[in-house]
Amino acid sequence: MSMDIIPVGRRRAWPPRVTEATRPFWGALALGRMTTTRCDNCARYTFPPKPICPHCWSSKLAWTDLGGRGMLYSRTVIHAPPKVFEGVGPLHVGIVDLDEGVRICCGLLEDDAPIPLDSRVELVTLLYADGPLFSARRQVSAREASGAHTQTR
Amino acid sequence: MGSVPVLLGVSAIPVGRHQSRADAEQHVLEHEVLARLVVQAVEQAGITKHDVHSLVLAQCRPYTMQKYFCTFMAHYLRLPSSATVMEVLGNGCTGGLALEHAIRDVESGRARAALALGVNFETATASAEHMNSSMRATGDVDFHVPFGLTPISWYAMDATRYMHEFGVTRDMLASVAVKNRSHASLNPLAQYRQPITLHDVLAQRPIVEPLGLYEVSPRGDGAACVVVASEDVAKATGQPYVRIRGRGFHHEGAHQISETPNDMIALGALQAASRTAYETAGIRPGDLDFAEIYAPCTIVEVLAGEAMGLTPRGQGARQAVEGQTTLGGRIPISTSGSLLSRGHPAYVTPLYNVIEAFEQLVGRAGARQVGSARLGASSCELGNYNAALVHILEAAR
Repeated sequence: MSMDIIPVGRRRAWPPRVTEATRPFWGALALGRMTTTRCDNCARYTFPPKPICPHCWSSKLAWTDLGGRGMLYSRTVIHAPPKVFEGVGPLHVGIVDLDEGVRICCGLLEDDAPIPLDSRVELVTLLYADGPLFSARRQVSAREASGAHTQTR
Repeated sequence: MGSVPVLLGVSAIPVGRHQSRADAEQHVLEHEVLARLVVQAVEQAGITKHDVHSLVLAQCRPYTMQKYFCTFMAHYLRLPSSATVMEVLGNGCTGGLALEHAIRDVESGRARAALALGVNFETATASAEHMNSSMRATGDVDFHVPFGLTPISWYAMDATRYMHEFGVTRDMLASVAVKNRSHASLNPLAQYRQPITLHDVLAQRPIVEPLGLYEVSPRGDGAACVVVASEDVAKATGQPYVRIRGRGFHHEGAHQISETPNDMIALGALQAASRTAYETAGIRPGDLDFAEIYAPCTIVEVLAGEAMGLTPRGQGARQAVEGQTTLGGRIPISTSGSLLSRGHPAYVTPLYNVIEAFEQLVGRAGARQVGSARLGASSCELGNYNAALVHILEAAR
């Protein structure tokens, strides 16, 4: 499933480093696809993507697409950020449990109100001037149902 | 030949802002502060320099100019050692790991007495700049840090989840800060001693929602020294001492969050470590007279108290409001004032917690004395309690 790609007119405050093992992830993300590695031996996902399976230590892994949807497990807003994030404004972040059973942490797009815990969220690609990051927002159907309006659609 | 290790002497400076700026005309330097504490602790223990065969240091912050600090201290103290001269690092567990290694040196028979000590100076560096470094310690540099997560933002997400699951309000969590300040008002080592009200806590600016300034740890400098000795040595001194009745450690093999969804606020590593500690001590949580918990935020004290079986699951905040964890209550938690008000010089914070437990168990806690304290627990952690180290301590009276 492809995710919305939202351009952001500045550079990332702390750009992630790309490696041989993670290059496919960042490349797919820039095209609106959320991917990770999955073990051929024990069938479990890992996130972030890794060159080995952390669960069974097999080296046989394959890239797989994730649906990019899940539930918000928790969230916070950081008002006292590290110096490299100064000027970006309060940082909205959360923990998302994806439908495939993978827990990730990422930024949140909360335009109007805090996203309630245990509500449906979807991932988007934020395409900064220097590369992509992933972020989560209320799932479109959930937002429409609650009458919320956003700037990003 | 092995022996039974005990805690025999302690010393510390009050937590506060001690570090001098780089351009100061006269400096306050780590090794001078620590050397005085060593002499003080050894004297209090009633032993001599020649009994000490091990120097286990909590690693200094990167802001300390003197490098290879442990071997420098061995010279500064002219202390030849046949057991250990080294520095340890394990984030928030650092001071606790120093103590653990000192205990093992005595237990194994390598040292008659061992010192667990450290000095954490950091306040000359501003918080936002310090977080440029600390954010890299509490998250994946490439998959968490790009979102701006700070060390305490993870605890804030614990708080959001806890309030959601158990119908707990922020006021209830905030009461923990009021309680800890009242404890700190009685502690000469505490950084903040002026009593505060619930209104004061709720009126502070937000730091990491839902937590405000008084619900997260202040930054501070500190230095501490703990003397571990064999029980034979301790008995010969005639000094009061503290037995190490039980110990437990567990690392859950996860850094901040588990990629496989789990019950994040159960603090599974602390549950496992305290279970081992209680088993080796042969006690139950209800046998404890007090607990000195490593908790950098109000919410963490609540969750850790529950994970250690001191309060029922989901009831920790309510029981704090009721005064059950206050001095004089059912199970006093953090009589030192905790990381929030006693202060949090991070790498030596676990030593300060052990020092509070020691003072309680030898009956030297003054106005904060827990009546007839016989058994106490101390904990420390790293990450979001991804690893925990627990010591059960007992008065030798």
